[in-house]
Amino acid sequence: MPRRALAAAAVALVLPLSACGSGGDDSGPTDASGKIEGDITFQTWNLRANFKPYFEGLVADFEKKYPGTRVKWIDQPAEGYPDKISADAAGGTLPDVVNVSPDLVAPLAKAGMALDLDKAAGKYKSEYLSGAWASHQVPGMSGTYAFPWYLNTGPLFYNKSLFTRAGLDPSSPPKTYGDLFADALRMAKKSDGKVATLANVPTIEDFGRYGVQLMNKEGTGFAFNDAKGIELLTEYKQLYDAKALDPQALTATPESSGRKFLTEAVAMNPGSALDLGNFKKQAPDLYKNIGITDQITSTGHVNMYVMGVMVNSRTAHTPAAVAFAHFVTDAHNQMSFAKKVAIFPSTAGSLDDPYFTKEDGTDETRVRIAAAKSLKNAVNYTPVLFSDQMKTALRNEVAKALQGKQSPKAALDNAVKACDQLLKQQG
Amino acid sequence: MAGVSRVRRQLPTSPWLFAAPGLLITGAFVLYPFVSTVVNSFTDRRTLIPGHFVGLANFRELLHDDMFWTGLRNSTLYIVGVVPALVILPLLLALLVQKNIPGITFFRSAFYTPVVASVVVVGLIWVWLLDERGLVNSLLRTVGIGRVGFLSDQWLLLLSAMAVTVWKGLGYYMIIYLAALANVPRELHEAAAVDGAGPVRRFLTVTVPAVRSTMVLVAALSSVAAFKVFSEVYLMAGPSGGPAGEDTTLVMLVQRTGTGLTGRVGYASALSVVVFVVTVALMLLVLRADRREEP
Repeated sequence: MPRRALAAAAVALVLPLSACGSGGDDSGPTDASGKIEGDITFQTWNLRANFKPYFEGLVADFEKKYPGTRVKWIDQPAEGYPDKISADAAGGTLPDVVNVSPDLVAPLAKAGMALDLDKAAGKYKSEYLSGAWASHQVPGMSGTYAFPWYLNTGPLFYNKSLFTRAGLDPSSPPKTYGDLFADALRMAKKSDGKVATLANVPTIEDFGRYGVQLMNKEGTGFAFNDAKGIELLTEYKQLYDAKALDPQALTATPESSGRKFLTEAVAMNPGSALDLGNFKKQAPDLYKNIGITDQITSTGHVNMYVMGVMVNSRTAHTPAAVAFAHFVTDAHNQMSFAKKVAIFPSTAGSLDDPYFTKEDGTDETRVRIAAAKSLKNAVNYTPVLFSDQMKTALRNEVAKALQGKQSPKAALDNAVKACDQLLKQQG
Repeated sequence: MAGVSRVRRQLPTSPWLFAAPGLLITGAFVLYPFVSTVVNSFTDRRTLIPGHFVGLANFRELLHDDMFWTGLRNSTLYIVGVVPALVILPLLLALLVQKNIPGITFFRSAFYTPVVASVVVVGLIWVWLLDERGLVNSLLRTVGIGRVGFLSDQWLLLLSAMAVTVWKGLGYYMIIYLAALANVPRELHEAAAVDGAGPVRRFLTVTVPAVRSTMVLVAALSSVAAFKVFSEVYLMAGPSGGPAGEDTTLVMLVQRTGTGLTGRVGYASALSVVVFVVTVALMLLVLRADRREEP
């Protein structure tokens, strides 16, 4: 019996080791030219609650167009979505078609789990905005690993009442970083440190929008510790010391800073056209005083967020999966989706539709038109290789600089070193 | 007797058949993940990439990882801050609610309520209370004290999380003490009272020795739980572990390092092995101290 127990223990030890090896790079099928048929699964990211009829209609339309196909739509909650994908990917149960963001695509592409659409569906490339198509390319790899889906960007919201109380002109919000920092310091001084203007520490997008070079040209290392990066962090340090940056910014999340803006504890917050509805419903007093201004950027390009639809390279029905991913993201369906929610299509020419160009006097339309206009040359400043661990490393070093525990230069040098190390470990 | 022996001879495997479901479940959900974690700790495995055997490289790396030392420091501080409070306060609470007086059930239930509340809800409520604009700061302002950065100062944040852990754990350990107190012979108290001992002396000379084993059990349980703390600190300090990650605990570091599509499963496993070794050492230490003090 002890010998058998020993054997069982040895098997238990060896089993996990059997997973060790070189794997992870088998690229799977790339041919999407066969007959479009079979059962596929399609996973979205927290969209069922608000858009169930839209997606059910989409699936029904696809199945009608391609008899012999069946699409099973599954939706995952927003919280922990990357963890859900990683569990599925590691367990070999990744759905055939998956809603992803560029930073999720990069590790999946590196592990050989995302289909290269340049090879499998290159004929559709011209249907999309070129910047959007490129957003799912991974430095160091050739190919494009997801169809671009919807885009989003947003203005900067500000609280006119708090501006007035601080002696600032509510009809003249800051347009440049210089204006922003000056107004923030004035507001903090006037309110004796009780009202902050911003509630978040600078993120990688902020560095990008400020004009900092984020990565080297080859995409093999980070470079945001340049003079411009140090300048931005030094400005934020001044804001933090003057309480123009909320003291809880060091531990804030986008949700918590949004709440601070709703409760009028901070005067400015980035957002999207979606937020206007929230303000109206959750904070009517704030809504009456809401000011809307353009995103501040030193590069002339605002930041945009890109969503994509990836095809699992190990799907058993590549033609059907590619056809469905294209169907979801084609101009007609993106336009229908954009009319249901404040997002923007990534298909070429769609942003010229009167829906995105014609004023009707409402705030919602004004924000939509301004956003659509800025999207034409917007940039996704978050590098696709910038992982969650890197975000934490940058955030921690920035916090140390703001607290005065190290200089802005040392903080950014350390952050770049940590991110480069993590990049190396990603392989 | 002969019949029983015959049955035993005829069915030598029957005990194993009865035990099989339990053994299978334990093997699949306890033993296998544990062994897998130990094996992974010697590899450079990542979420999507199986990795290779790297020997002790992960353990060597964590010795040079500042975040590991920060996590170890905070997890250890958590034991120091939480365990004495969770050994003493529930005992005092149990003494208060031990007596059968009208309405005492209400108090017992009230003290137990935080135990059954979800830790996420508890964490969120305390975050609202301790926010710069929360109730606690409003009260402090009304008595002339300025805003206190419970959620923005590194040490206050850790203390706040400890307070929540103690608040949430009081009722649980109170129940354990109530059971122990019920077994203390009343005659001992009466004899001590006849000898002129007051309530404090009776507590120290009768109650404490009688519940000493329970105190050791509470110390062991609470120190292991404190060393493995995650939820309270995560909810109050945020996913980055407080300002500059200074409030990160070891288990938070395991979560942050090992999850997501780019998670370093091998390194996170090495951290988990360290947590396991320390918790086992803690248990042994407490139990050994108990044995040494046995009369």
